Amino acid sequence: MKGAVYLDHAATAPLDPRVATAMAACLADPDLQANPASSHAAGRAAAERLAAARSQVARLVNAPPEAIVLTSGATESVNLAVLGAVRGAGSARRHVVTSRIEHRAGLDACRQLEREGHGVTWLAPGGDGLIRPDQVGAALREDTTLVSLMHANNETGVLTDIAAVARLCEARGIAFHVDAAQSAGKVPVDAAVPGIALLSFCAHKLGGPKGVGALYVRRRPRPPIQPLHHGGGQERGLRSGTLALHQAVGFGLACEQARAALGEEPSRIRVLRERLWGLLQAAAPAWRNGAAEPSLPGILSVGFAGIEGESLLLELDGEVAAASGAACNSATGEPSHVLRALGRSDEAIQASLRLSLGRSTTAEDVDRAAAAIVHAVARLRAALPVGALERIA
Amino acid sequence: MSAQAPRYSARVRSLFGSLEGAGELPAAAGAAVSGEAIALDRLAWVQFAARVDGGRIADCRFRAFGCPHTLAAASFAAAQLRGAPVDAGFALDAGRLARELEAPAEKMGRLLVVEDALRDLLEGARRVQ
Repeated sequence: MKGAVYLDHAATAPLDPRVATAMAACLADPDLQANPASSHAAGRAAAERLAAARSQVARLVNAPPEAIVLTSGATESVNLAVLGAVRGAGSARRHVVTSRIEHRAGLDACRQLEREGHGVTWLAPGGDGLIRPDQVGAALREDTTLVSLMHANNETGVLTDIAAVARLCEARGIAFHVDAAQSAGKVPVDAAVPGIALLSFCAHKLGGPKGVGALYVRRRPRPPIQPLHHGGGQERGLRSGTLALHQAVGFGLACEQARAALGEEPSRIRVLRERLWGLLQAAAPAWRNGAAEPSLPGILSVGFAGIEGESLLLELDGEVAAASGAACNSATGEPSHVLRALGRSDEAIQASLRLSLGRSTTAEDVDRAAAAIVHAVARLRAALPVGALERIA
Repeated sequence: MSAQAPRYSARVRSLFGSLEGAGELPAAAGAAVSGEAIALDRLAWVQFAARVDGGRIADCRFRAFGCPHTLAAASFAAAQLRGAPVDAGFALDAGRLARELEAPAEKMGRLLVVEDALRDLLEGARRVQ
């Protein structure tokens, strides 16, 4: 019997076995046990290996290695970018532009800034899930210090036109932070686009280990960043703490592999996603949350009329690993703030499923998952109260 | 939230897995009665249909929208009512359903919807007997 089809790559991607091997080798290598910050020969050997890994990470986003600050993951990177950039800009009250559909890391960092007395403009997406550059332009003020937006939304996959937003920010001299946690390694991401000052991403969404991420910090002009961690002054003073070399090695290799796959993989995954959506029409009435394009190739957020999400997930237990409409709020059980911002009702949010494909996904996986979902939806609908299918959507 | 769902008791998994008693009430002798409760704010909607014959509930079926506990509770209740005397009293309240299903406290609101639908059904059953 085959295991469950894994369609939760947006939560985390399976660790690439080659990455696991490289990390294990690094941990076991007696010549790589020293602190990379140490000046002796063993330390220099570790530092050299670290530099190689940092270069691999940097190349994924077309950045120079010196612009990469290694962190514990995207959450830390986003916090360092958002809190660090605003606090680093001085003691005056500042203004930040962000959106209502950011990842909780971005939302909560901006809420913290509000508590500290700064102003935040929360942009609302259209029903298609898009944050449009003209919305950003209209929200900018004289005291705007930072614009922070996701490149790809983690629930709908909808892409923001970051190049256009970067141009707006460049023209006004405002720092622009891009949360590329979902998009880096899935579609081309270019930190060198003029106007991008900060860019966050992490390893575990692209086949690397959990617990390591990066923040790109533009070198010229370098945005003033106040660190969150204080100590040994590692990472150019922005992220103190002894670096975990094996984590960096795994991150580097994962980035290299993701970069090598960027030519063919996005279109292969996009074809599979559309195949999945086509097969799910057998479970109509069904809808898609967010615009089909522009979007990240691997994310499909769908809803099924008359279906309660928790029951659907249990029905799929052991067959399909996916995320419910409560995707980012499993701790609280609250409906998705992203789908709510798109104007969906609580019933429609609960009836939604996020299916996220990745490098390990095959056509057979898609067919198996679609068959399981169609069967599950049919079984639950067979037990629905009379009139419920029409009323609950 | 991934598809792994470890917070369901074996009873809930079994009842949810079979959904025994779901669907249409078959035609048979006796008076047909129904009960319903809707609370979409709690994502729960439960309908019971029963046939009353000779002072007993000869058959009982349910239809439900809701979480696994809601569906499991409706299935459990329908099975308990089959063959039970109409005036035997009401023992299937939300507390009993929660104990039977080992349901966590946060499910009580939805189990109360099942209880309300049952009360509605039994009220109708008493009227026709």
